[in-house]
Amino acid sequence: MVFSSLLFLFRFLPVMMLVYYLTPRRFKNLVLLIGSLIFYSWGEIKYFPIMAASIAVDYIASNGIMAAGQRQGRRRAWLMLSVFFNLGMLFFFKYTDFFIQNLNALLGLSIPYLKLTLPLGISFYTFQTMSYTIDVYRGKVTAEKNLVDFSAFVVLFPQLIAGPIVRYTDISRELKERRMDLAQIQQGVECFILGLGRKVLIANSVGALWTEVEAMSYPAISTPLAWLAALAFSLQIYFDFSGYSLMAIGLGKMLGFNFPQNFDDPYISKSMTEFWRRWHMTLGSWFREYLYIPLGGNRCSKARNMWNIFVVWAATGFWHGASWNFVLWGLYFFVFLVLEKNFLLPRLNAHPVLSRVYMIPLLLISWVLFAITDFARLGEYFSAMFLWQGGADWMYYLRNYGVVLLLGIILSTPLLSRLGARLEARHPGRPGLAKGLFLAAVLVISVAYLVDATYNPFLYFRF
Amino acid sequence: MEKKSLKQYPLLVFFALFILGLFVADMFATGREFSEMENRYLKQRPKFSIKALVENEYTLDYEKFINDQFVARDAWITLKSVSETALGKIENNGVAYGRDDYQFQKAPTADEETLGNNLGYLQEFLETYQGHVTVGIIPNSYQVLENKTPVSFPGVDQEPYIRQIYEGVKGRVDTLDLLSVMTQHRDEYIYYRTDHHWTTLGAFYAYQAYAQSRGLAAAGPEQIEPYAHNVEGFLGTYYSKSKKFDTRSDTITWYDFPVGEVTIDGKTTILNSQKQEIPVEGMYEVAKWQERDKYAAFLYGNNGLTVIPSQCNLNHQEGRTSRVLVIKDSYGNSFAPFLTWSYDEVYVVDLRSLTEKMSELTARVQFDDVLVLYNYQSFESDRNIARLTY
Repeated sequence: MVFSSLLFLFRFLPVMMLVYYLTPRRFKNLVLLIGSLIFYSWGEIKYFPIMAASIAVDYIASNGIMAAGQRQGRRRAWLMLSVFFNLGMLFFFKYTDFFIQNLNALLGLSIPYLKLTLPLGISFYTFQTMSYTIDVYRGKVTAEKNLVDFSAFVVLFPQLIAGPIVRYTDISRELKERRMDLAQIQQGVECFILGLGRKVLIANSVGALWTEVEAMSYPAISTPLAWLAALAFSLQIYFDFSGYSLMAIGLGKMLGFNFPQNFDDPYISKSMTEFWRRWHMTLGSWFREYLYIPLGGNRCSKARNMWNIFVVWAATGFWHGASWNFVLWGLYFFVFLVLEKNFLLPRLNAHPVLSRVYMIPLLLISWVLFAITDFARLGEYFSAMFLWQGGADWMYYLRNYGVVLLLGIILSTPLLSRLGARLEARHPGRPGLAKGLFLAAVLVISVAYLVDATYNPFLYFRF
Repeated sequence: MEKKSLKQYPLLVFFALFILGLFVADMFATGREFSEMENRYLKQRPKFSIKALVENEYTLDYEKFINDQFVARDAWITLKSVSETALGKIENNGVAYGRDDYQFQKAPTADEETLGNNLGYLQEFLETYQGHVTVGIIPNSYQVLENKTPVSFPGVDQEPYIRQIYEGVKGRVDTLDLLSVMTQHRDEYIYYRTDHHWTTLGAFYAYQAYAQSRGLAAAGPEQIEPYAHNVEGFLGTYYSKSKKFDTRSDTITWYDFPVGEVTIDGKTTILNSQKQEIPVEGMYEVAKWQERDKYAAFLYGNNGLTVIPSQCNLNHQEGRTSRVLVIKDSYGNSFAPFLTWSYDEVYVVDLRSLTEKMSELTARVQFDDVLVLYNYQSFESDRNIARLTY
């Protein structure tokens, strides 16, 4: 099930929340668990056993580590079980066909594809549970003994399918003891509506432009249209993804959890380095903590450090999808991050305008790299972007999407929230009322767009 | 105490009431069968079975059911349409808004493969059929009404493709340059604003051009005028997609020409959309003028073989029965009635529902003329054109 659907808003959400609030405190996690499992299994009931197995293995492994006490060999064996199981599942479901395809191409074989549907959110929850066992192994947390609490952590529905990647350490306290008050619930409602609006009103709107152009023959499109569509996809992926994260954070708050922030106006970054501190923050910190630092981080030779950065970005790219263009996308960032690390960064930080002139085209290019999986098509698209192709086709699209694109650009900056803060300082209380009315309108209009949903994709089926 | 504290959280209260209110209202909303606005049947509550659940059919159907039956669905759709207009959008669901309240379906690419196949079937038919054949390809409204489409509207230029079809049948048939005919009259009401068809007036100009190309006397405007009826409030297929809140509806004109006993697929009765058997009385299913899908009144919709005996043929010769066969898509339905002014018997074939083979029909009945009349987009995409060769 996805948040941006009538089914979620007017069936799952009211029933879930009513039951949850009315249930006595000690059974709340059980309600969460059952509700989350229904949420997860809806639409893909076959994968329920996979989720159950994932929970069981990590529960047993983490408690095995605890029980092993000081016996390093056993501790390590339990850890390995969890890591291999999680990565194994991820590889099996997500990457098998990719490897078969490459083997076939390389050796001229014709191994048949498995054609598995990717279990919803598998990339998110395998990372989440893996980090948990690693944390138990490192002694950062003690293993959760209560199976219900542990399961509720893994399947907690707000963050299950599209992040943020919530680590056990983020919410371990709240799992046992959380406060719910009206102020926090209202905050949650605000976040949720903002996220819903981002997804339904902005991302879906501009996404339709990209989807239409993506299906065209690239040698036939004009250069301005190619850039316009790249801009549209850049806004779509940002508003879609950050919208989901905000909805997740909002739902978390309604339930009494505080999830980590996942996006922080990434498109105003002055450098790639800054961009990755603001974009999908929970994924970046996951890779830093569980891959980059274990590899040796930067406390090693320069060459080794370079290698570590390379591995992290190849993996980051690959995590986003089982296709070479995602690896290329990751390595694209690797190149710029290394350049910035070595000499570019101080210069970029010193020039607020020039740095954006550098960043914005590079980001648009990166998203084209991300969006087009076929290399021949990708080449044609870049050719349309960089070798002038004339035509007036862009005029229709600019006319149709201009306002929404502009709205997306403005909302990619902190302009509105700064304006709100300034008004609040001058006229206390009044912006709050305006904000409330605005959010109520966003909610109502979003529902209208969901009812007449001509285009409402779920982008993370590949993740 | 609690009341006071809730007052401090108006947004929370609004959210809770909105979600719960619609949840409850939606539970009690009665299941609508058919949406007049969208001109389609709405999804009904799916039947639960373990098999459907495991195969993910049940959950998918259930979601469609929730969406289709959502309380006040039409009002929500209108709200979206208003918001889109406020955001400066000039299209919805693939339908773009042009000048003078015209709507146009976007058509950014041509299906060249199907077009090539269909041309092949037409050529094959022409090789086996010995009589005289005319081919007429009708351009879409966006092609003709260039002055009404939005700037750089994404619609493929149909002119070279129509030329390609005509080149492919050159020498063996006459071709009817309908693009020129329609363009000459582009300032008149020749296409519907809200529907993909041509108007009856557009069909009339095509009829005159066809009769002239065959050297036949044709009815003029003054001759058909006394038979005219107008039906207001027609909302066509473009509207069904766009659902634009301020759409201006169309007027359908139809002509009650005197005809003999019309038969459809050899019978004088037909099943209507409620599956009731009704008598065929003339060329129009009059009850349809009152319904949403008004264009379906012409020739009772797209039936296999319709035979219309004329009573007003200007070219009538004693002791001789002239016959024309029109092989057509739905554009032909408003066109065929005019042919009664130029032939004694009008045979109308829609390959989508023809029960007998084409070869049987052409062997059974002797035709003076055959007209293959298709809209360009139908000719480009309709896979039933293969039946020409059966």
